[in-house]
Order: sequence, then C-alpha cells, then structure tokens
Amino acid sequence: MTEFSDAMSIAASGMKAQASRLRHVSENIANTDTPGYRRKIVAFEEVIESGRATGLVETGRVRLDRADLERVHDPSHPLADETGSYEGSNVNLLIEIADAREAQRSYEANLKLFDQVRQMSSSLTEILRK
Amino acid sequence: MFNSLDVLQTAMDMARHAGARQAVTAANLANADTPGYRARSIAPFSEVYDSAPTGGLHRTRPGHLSTGQGFGSAARPEFTDADPAPNGNSVSIEQEMLSAVEIGREHSRALTIYQHSLEVLRLSIGRR
Repeated sequence: MTEFSDAMSIAASGMKAQASRLRHVSENIANTDTPGYRRKIVAFEEVIESGRATGLVETGRVRLDRADLERVHDPSHPLADETGSYEGSNVNLLIEIADAREAQRSYEANLKLFDQVRQMSSSLTEILRK
Repeated sequence: MFNSLDVLQTAMDMARHAGARQAVTAANLANADTPGYRARSIAPFSEVYDSAPTGGLHRTRPGHLSTGQGFGSAARPEFTDADPAPNGNSVSIEQEMLSAVEIGREHSRALTIYQHSLEVLRLSIGRR
C-alpha cells in the first residue's frame, strides 16, 4: 500500500505545483498593463530528503523576470517622463498563455494518474471484501 | 498446481511490481516540468521476473535464511536514455501516460489471476 500512497502524494504534489504556477501566470496576465510590473516566474524543483530523491515536486522561490520593461509612448500619461514615454510591464501575453496551457496539460496528466492509482487501490481492497 | 501456491505468489509479485512502477511514473509526471529532471523507469515484469534469483535455498517460513535479495529489490528504477529537452528534462508526458495505462492493465491482470485462484481454492474446499 505504501507505493500507492506514495504515488498519490507525488501526483498531488505535482498538481499543487502546477496550480501555484497557474496562479503566478494569472497574476502576470492581470498585471499586463501595470506600469513597472515585472513578470513573476517560478521554477520547479525535485524534493530531496536526506540526500535521496523522493520524486515529489515543489515550486522554488518566486523570481522576477529581468527582461527590460516595455517603453510605452504616451505623453498624457501621469508617469510619462520628459521624452513622453513611461515604463510598462514586461509581460508577454503570448508566453503567459503558452505557459498556462503547459501547466494545464501537466495538471491533467497528474490528475489522470491520481485517478488511476485510486482505481488500482480500490480494486485491491475489492479482493479483501469478498 | 496449488502445492506451494506459487500462482498466488507470482500474482502478488506482479501486483507489487505494478505498484512500484506506478509510483515511478507518478514521480516522472509530477516532475514533467522540473528543469534537469531525468525520467526513470522500472523494467517490465517479465524481465524482472527472469532476473530475480531462483533456486538456491527454499524459504518456507519468514524466519528462514534467504539466498538472494528477493523479488522486490530486483526492480530498481533506472534512468531512461530519452533525449532531454533544452532545460535538461527528459520526461515525455505521452510516454508516461502510455506506461500508466500499461501498468493499470498489468495490475488488474494480476488481481484477476489472484482472485480467480482464490475462487478455485474456495471451490475445492466446497464453499461457493
């Protein structure tokens, strides 16, 4: 049974990591038009416990994208400098959508596996019931 | 056939093997987007079964000496030689889904064999 519970907790950790990634993607998309906003990125890391890889996954520290902020020309904007432009965000919507799709795909894969492990363990307990 | 109940033992080993493989597959899928993660896999049951130590001392009780490492330790996860993506990750979600289905079938096959053997046993002692 430990293998099943292992597999379930690993799949759950994968779903959790993908969900938090999706949260950062939605934060980025919501702040596309916020002046000076830098895109947030998270990296996934495998959990190592006492030198042994457990297979669990977790999200690392949130980092900010160091790419240059987009300069928007709009002399009427309150934040515009003497050249008539201000710094927007460095969020690229296309990248965010692609990222969200990837997160969704991986999330579904984890969910499917979770469901399968559940089925396997329930068919095992079915034998005991007879 | 039921002298030493080898059928039940083999079915149980097969189910256990499926469980171990499933755990490895779960780890691969969870780390499908982890940079630098290398996919692992456990060899199919037939290969593991062939390589498991047979013969030697026969154990009829748990307290007896064992000659080999037994069945369970023969199934060790190994790195696959799939080409890694630019971020060093070599997990292919499609491949993992495929092996997950395969494992599910292996597991249910083992359980069916187990169940059926038990049924035959039950029948032979006159219970239905």
